Formats: sequence, structure tokens, C-alpha cells
Amino acid sequence: MSATEAASQAAAPHEAGRDYFASLARWKVWEILFWATLAGCYFFPDIDRMLMSRVIIWGLFAMSLDVLLGYRGIPSLGHAVFFGVGAYVAGFLGKFGWTEPISGLFFAMFVAGALGLVMGKLVQRVTGVGLLMVTLGLNLIVFDFVLRSTELTGGDDGLQGIVIAPVLNYFRFDIWGRTAFWYAFVVAFVLFVVTRMLLKSPFGLALIGARENPRRMLTLGAPVEGDVSRAFMIAAALAGAAGALLTQTTQTAAPTYLSFQRSADVLVILIIGGAGRLYGGFIGAIVFILLQDYVSALSPVYWYFWIGLLLVIIVSFFRKGLLPSVEQLYDRLRSRKSAGPPG
Amino acid sequence: MAAILTVLFNGVAYGFLLFVMSVGLSVSLGMMNFVNLAQASFSMLGGYIFVTALQGYGIPFMLCLPIVFFAVAIVSVVLERLIFRYFYKTDDLTQVLLTIGLVFMSIAMATYVWGGTYQRFDMPAWIIGQKDVFGLTLETYRIFLVGFGAVMAVTLIFGLERTNLGAMVRACVDNRRVATACGLNTELIFAFTFAIGGGLAGLGGALSANLLGLDPNFPLRYLVYILIVVSIGGMGTITGTLVASLALGIADVMGKYYVPQFGSFIIYLLTVIVMLWRPHGLMGRGA
Amino acid sequence: MKTALSMLAATALAALSAQATTAQETLKIGVLQSYSGMTALGGTHTDMAIKLFQQKYGDTPGGFKLQLVRRDTTGPNPEVAKRLVGEVVTRERAQILIGPDFTPNTLAAAPILTEAKVPSFVTGAATTGIVGERSPYSARTFFATPQLCKPLAAYAVKQGWNKIFVVAADFAPGHECEKFFIAALKEANGTLAGNLRTPLSNPEYSGYIQRIRDAKPDAVFIFMPLGELSIGIVRAINDSGLKASGLKIMGTGDITDEGYVDAVGDAALGVITTGIYSTQHKSALNEEFVKGFMQLGEGKHRVGWSAVSAWDAMRIMYDALESMKGQKFDPDKFKAFVYGHKFESPRGPVQIDKSNGDIIQNVYIRRVERVNGVLHNVEIETIPNVPFK
Repeated sequence: MSATEAASQAAAPHEAGRDYFASLARWKVWEILFWATLAGCYFFPDIDRMLMSRVIIWGLFAMSLDVLLGYRGIPSLGHAVFFGVGAYVAGFLGKFGWTEPISGLFFAMFVAGALGLVMGKLVQRVTGVGLLMVTLGLNLIVFDFVLRSTELTGGDDGLQGIVIAPVLNYFRFDIWGRTAFWYAFVVAFVLFVVTRMLLKSPFGLALIGARENPRRMLTLGAPVEGDVSRAFMIAAALAGAAGALLTQTTQTAAPTYLSFQRSADVLVILIIGGAGRLYGGFIGAIVFILLQDYVSALSPVYWYFWIGLLLVIIVSFFRKGLLPSVEQLYDRLRSRKSAGPPG
Repeated sequence: MAAILTVLFNGVAYGFLLFVMSVGLSVSLGMMNFVNLAQASFSMLGGYIFVTALQGYGIPFMLCLPIVFFAVAIVSVVLERLIFRYFYKTDDLTQVLLTIGLVFMSIAMATYVWGGTYQRFDMPAWIIGQKDVFGLTLETYRIFLVGFGAVMAVTLIFGLERTNLGAMVRACVDNRRVATACGLNTELIFAFTFAIGGGLAGLGGALSANLLGLDPNFPLRYLVYILIVVSIGGMGTITGTLVASLALGIADVMGKYYVPQFGSFIIYLLTVIVMLWRPHGLMGRGA
Repeated sequence: MKTALSMLAATALAALSAQATTAQETLKIGVLQSYSGMTALGGTHTDMAIKLFQQKYGDTPGGFKLQLVRRDTTGPNPEVAKRLVGEVVTRERAQILIGPDFTPNTLAAAPILTEAKVPSFVTGAATTGIVGERSPYSARTFFATPQLCKPLAAYAVKQGWNKIFVVAADFAPGHECEKFFIAALKEANGTLAGNLRTPLSNPEYSGYIQRIRDAKPDAVFIFMPLGELSIGIVRAINDSGLKASGLKIMGTGDITDEGYVDAVGDAALGVITTGIYSTQHKSALNEEFVKGFMQLGEGKHRVGWSAVSAWDAMRIMYDALESMKGQKFDPDKFKAFVYGHKFESPRGPVQIDKSNGDIIQNVYIRRVERVNGVLHNVEIETIPNVPFK
């Protein structure tokens, strides 16, 4: 966080609270540039659109974890549960005749969000390692259940017979990934905008406050525990949306969607990008998924070595992830230019 | 009756297996407050060194164990000097990510060096087969495991946790500056403890690999179990790790015998319940 | 200076002649296997088999210049597999696929392969009803679950092992195998002494083994996926003393697979399994195949089923392409050739079913024995032309 931002945060809330939030909510140039570039990918010749829609979906998924980890400081080792629940809800809807994707997506978000609320209530008093292990344990239980219930979920073979109607009754999900790309992009963008509004509101500030100093927030009269379950609910609904997107764009749902490995991967992605920045998840997904695709095609057997090395390098030299490090560098350059040598 | 007692014994033996697997992490996490998931990789390394010594060089079983311990201890202390020591003061999550990165790298390196296949273990004749004890037919290796694990536990609890060294390590972790001011060589103490943790993890790998199967994915496959044991036992206590290992081992084997349809639910469910009930573990010190 | 010039000229010439030979039609072959993660060995062996095949038969069957496009499915991961199949088919324009491996991946790929009319070879998925039923251009060179799960029931009863205990891994393939075996056992008038489903992450079998002991069966039938589970259960039954006390161990070939049987060690001796392929199969073709594979792997790898499945996929593909010599590649003609094709494989005679591309092959009952100091699956009985249903 730059010095100016911190100063305005300290001074503003008393008299000019509204202005403060308005300034928070203002879109910056690089943000618009980011989304425009992402959309522009589509027109890049010879681009793998299915891969790009996968990047977007992972980005959304990592952003959902950011709401928990980056903004509220709650680490979770079981975030894939919500992703998987969203995926399977969307899958079941498609299987049993409700093939319209957008309402299916909302329903999946609703179910995942409700589950998130319950989970949040369950763990709201637990912190640290306890929280990690509870989320991990719940993840393993749900995974085991889905894997074993062959009759209900198709088990290891995945859910079969998922039919997804064309988006808006017109855009069919084709093998070229054209619809998949735009559908994933638009959904991710809309959800991003909503999340951004939420987090740049007093609610978002309360989350950060509770992350930094929960006791103080309590003395201010802020409902710290309630925040946990609400943050869980939002994060879960977003993760559910990501899962539903994956199911709808690929017409598949399988136990790996809620494996512990996925929970770990999304954490890695968020950390690579940088937590607490909302964009960190997307940046991390771009780096991780594209690298995975590139390196694993190059040397499939050893690609884990490179991803491991990347992780080590990032935590060694960019402690907070790529995005914050770039931001810091940019801030330093700018302050040197505009204000001369810092006093 | 014989069946119940056999199942109980097997549960205890499984508990000691979990104990030897996770005690390395327990030392580094409990004493040094360092979340070192790469302990699972040290275990794998221990397993590979063990199989190379036993199988490749025909070194006697009992001699292989100290070789493994010292070899992995040396490797871990080298890594500590090169990498880990810069991360003692970082938060849990950074440590988790650093060490999981190292785990990924170790998997690829093990594939490169030893290939992707499972290793073959030809254990000495005296340690395989069964023995009749009080009318029960018990597996010799399990009896060995119980004995070895028990000796290890006693040695660690009374030789490491409750001694001057243990106190010094904790002093260094709790307040490094004051500890240095009191004349403690914190660097040395940390490196030493780290080496012990690594060596123990290696030993755990050597003792468990022939039961669990050893291939490059060993660390990822058993990391979850190690984490569960250590966190249920509680941070900062080898006794807790022992208690948790035994409890989980007995619960798992008993569960599989009496309600096999529950599968691995029992361990996971226990984890969730215990951690909700006592977030710092059964015998944890609390934050 | 002079030498540099002449070298330049030589490379230019070489480039020219290379261009001349690539005037023929290039055909891209997508190879979608797992190369990373827990199931990486399957991909490695597939690659080795393909390499071995091309060393012997070249890479221009029927005048088509083959170009391999490899992708890593990372294991049973339908989302990844489907995307990779889409990518290989749409961007790389691959026209034949070897893979993807695993049932969920095969199922996920089917709609794309159907839409794009891309023939594929199922080399690593065994569930019934996933070949021609799902994508009309695919053929299986692996095996179908009933081929391995049914025959042992009748065999056991014939040996006088009437009470049989069934242990299967608790996931879809395990459930399917359990179903087929129990049905076959009933048909053969055997008795089911009990059955257990064991979890996929399971380091400890002793609780289950005590249950087997209590049921006092004559034999136990095991289905476990390749890996630490298949190794672990055979060792655990042996260590518990049950095997020494006379319990017969049977199962699908997974529990004594050549790639893993060394890790099982002496515990595997005497285990009876069904298999589609053994390195010990007596035929000139197989001897040559095994020798070549061992040389290629510098003795570090033993031939497994994924290798022989990939080899056979190559065999069929080359035969089909030879038959289309001088013509353009046409998936319908390719399919017409493949469906109903009969050929000699290192495993024995194989036939691709005419109606849906599934495989009809001999199933062998094998016993693990030491041959020249190495554990091998020795074929003791042959059940010819076993159907895939």
C-alpha cells in the first residue's frame, strides 16, 4: 500500500467518507487495460480459446479465494469444495433437463453460497492451523463421498449426460471454444465488478480491518464473526460460479473438480499473483495455467520441477506475489518522478 | 477375542508407523515453529537412501537406519543453511508455499534419479513373517515397529523435548534477540534442531517405505496424513504427536474392521471434530 | 573458411532434399497420455512403445508422413483431457488420436471426436460401453473390464476354491469389476464369502485383512488400481500370514503387473491373475517386442500393458494407412478398415469388433513364478476370444 493511500485512509472516514469510497471505487487506467487485453486475446490469431477460458475460470476461482484470504486473512485448504459443488450443481441441472446455462449458473452460485455460509458458521471461531485442518478435512470428506458414490455422481468416471443449451438460446458451446471464451469472460467480468464494488464498500473495509486487528474491530462494534461467515458465503458463491462455468463450458464434472490438489493449486495461483489485490488471482492464473500448458508440453515428466522452482523464487524474492511487487516498483518510480527524492 | 486383540495391536502398530512418519515435522514445527512440508520429501529421500543401501550395497538392515538418519540430517542441514534459515521469521503461509515448492521439485528430481517406478524392498528374513505372542499371531515387522517407535518416542520426549536443548530451542524461537543476548548460538541451535528433524523424517521414510510403497509421489501422497497427525497432536509437543498417532492408528484400524463401509471417513471426520473442538490440537500450547 | 562454405552448401542440400521428401501428406497423430503425476508411467511406456514401433517400421506408412503431437492429460482429469483433445483437433489439426487415457477422459473426449470425425485408439481405459458407443470412430486396444473380471470365478470353482472373498477399490472401476465378478461367481455356483470396498487413499489394510480372516474363505479376489494400492494389498495379505495358511490370492493383472511386481516381491509368488499380456507369452513377435523394449529402456523398464496397447494401436494405424496408400486420408475409410481388423499382437491374436470397435482377445490365466531369478506372470491357461461384454 502506498503512503498516500494509507494517509487518505487514516484521514478520510470522518468528514469525507463518501468521497473516500468513491475514490476507492474509481477505475484506474491499467484496470481497463487489463480487461481489454484479456478480451482482445480472443482476436489473437492461433490462440487456444479453450485454454484462455480455462485461464479466466481459474482466475475467477482464485479471486474467490482472495476474498477469504486476501481480504479477511482466512486461509482455506478446502476451497475446491465450493468449486466442485458449483460444478456438480450445474452438471446435475444440465443432466436432468434444466439446460439453460445462465439460470443454472445462478442456482449453482446460490447452493455453493449457502454451503459457504454454513461452513463459515462452523469455522468462525477457529483460526490458524485449526482452520487449515478443518477445511482440509472437510475437503477430503466431500471428495471421498463424490468419488465413492458411483450411482449418484458417476464417481471416478465423472457425471455423464450433461447437456447445456446454447447461451441466450443462440450461442452454442462449440469445439472451437468461441462461446466458451465469451461466456466465461462476461460472467467473470460481471462477477469481478460486483465483487469489486463489495470490497471497496464499508463491508470490504470491515473485512480488512478484521484481518489486521480483530480485537480492535470488535471494540468498534463491528461483527467480526459474522464477517467470517459472510466472507465465506461470498467466496463460496464465486467459487461455485467458477465451477459451474467449467462444467458448462466443457460439459464435464468429475471428482478432480473438488480434489485437495485443486484446493492447493488455487492457493498457489493466488500467492503467485499476490493476495489482497483482487487482480492477483487473475494474474496468477495467467502465469500458472499458461506456464503449465507450455512447460508440460515441453517436458511433461518434469514440469512440476519448474512450477516448484517458480514458487520458491516467488516466495523468496517477491514475498507478496507478482502483482504487489510490480505495484511497489511502479509506486517507487512514480514518487521519484513526481515528488522528487522522498523526504 | 483373539481377533479384537489382534486388531488392537495392529492399530497400535499403525499408530507407531504414523508416529515415525510425522515426528520429523513435529520437531521442526513444534520446536522451531517452522512449517516444513518438505519433511515429506526428506522422508522420501530417507526411503531411497535406505533402499539403495539395503538393496544396492547389501548393508545390514540395522546398520542402514543410522546411515539414513545421518545422511538425511546432513542433506537437511545443508538445505537449512542455503534456503530455510532465511524463512524462519516469515508467516506460516509463506513457509507452506516455499516448502510445497520444494516438494514439487523433489518429486521431479526423484523421478530423474531413481525413475518413476516403485522400489523393491527385500527385508531381512528375521523381520518378516509372524510371531506367536500370548496366543496371538502378530506380524514381526509390526512388533519391531512398535518397539522401535516406543524407544524413539521416549528418547525424543526425554532427550530432546524436556532437556536443556529443548529449552534453548524454544528460547531461540520465542525471542531470538534475547536468546542471543543470553549467549546462545542461535544459528547453531537452529541448524542442529533442523538436522535432527530432517534425520528423523528420513528415518520415518526408511521404516515406512517398505509398507507404503516408495515412488517419487511419496511426499504428496502421505503429506496429508503427516499434517493431520501433527496438527491433531498439537503444535509444539512430541508427546501430542505420539498420542495423536496412536489414537488415529487405533481408530482407523478398528473402524476398518467394525464399519468397513466408512473407509477413510473416520480419520477425516476425527480431524474435523478434534480441530473444531481444540483448534490448537489435543495437547497444543495455544497461541 | 572453405570448410564452412562447404558445410553451408551441404546443409542447404540436405534441407532441399528434406523438402522433397515432405511433399507427401503430413498426418498429425495426437498422443494424449499422462506424463506427470501419479500415473506418469503409463505415458512413458506408451511413448517408448511408439518409438520402438517407429524404429522398426519407419514413420511414413502408406506414404503419409506422421508427426506426433504429445499432450499430458495429467491423469483422470476430464476437463484437461477434453480441452487438450479440442486443442489438438482444432489447432494442431491432428487426424488420429492415441488416447486419451482413463475412462473419464475418454468419455469427455467422445463428443469432440464424434463431431470432428477423428478416429482414436483407447489404450488406457477399461470401462464397458465407452468405445464405438460414444464416439463412432474409436477403437480399443486395451481391454474391457469383464474380460479380466469374469474368467477367474469359473477358474476358481474348477480348482475347488468355492468360498471367495472379494476386495475392490472403492471407485467406479472397482464397483464395475466387483459386479462382473460376483455375477460370474453366481453363474459358476461359487459362494461369496464376503466383499469389501477399500478407499483409494489407504496406507493400512490390517483391519480389512482381519475381516477376511474371520470369513475363512478359500480364495480372495482383488481389484486395485496400479500403484501403491495394488502393491500394498498383496504384501499385506502375505505379511499377515494368511497366504502361508493356504489362502489363494487372485485378481486382475493389476496386482502383479510387470511394472510393479518387483516392488511386491516374493509376496507375489503364486498369485493367480487374469491378463491380456505377459512378457512370458510364447511367440516370436513377443520375444522381439520384449527385447526391443528392454533395450530401449536400458533395462530400467519392464513391458506393461500400456506399452502393448500403444504398440497395437500403432500396428492397426499403420495397416490402415498402408491400405490407403496414394489416397487422401479419410476417417470413414480408416474406420472401415479398423473395425473388424484382425492381427497378431505380441499378446496373441486380437480382433477389433466390427460393430463398435471394442476389442476381442485371448485372456490368459497366469501365475507369478520366478523365471531366471525374475518375477514373471507365467501363462497357465488360455481362454480364447473373450468378448468385451
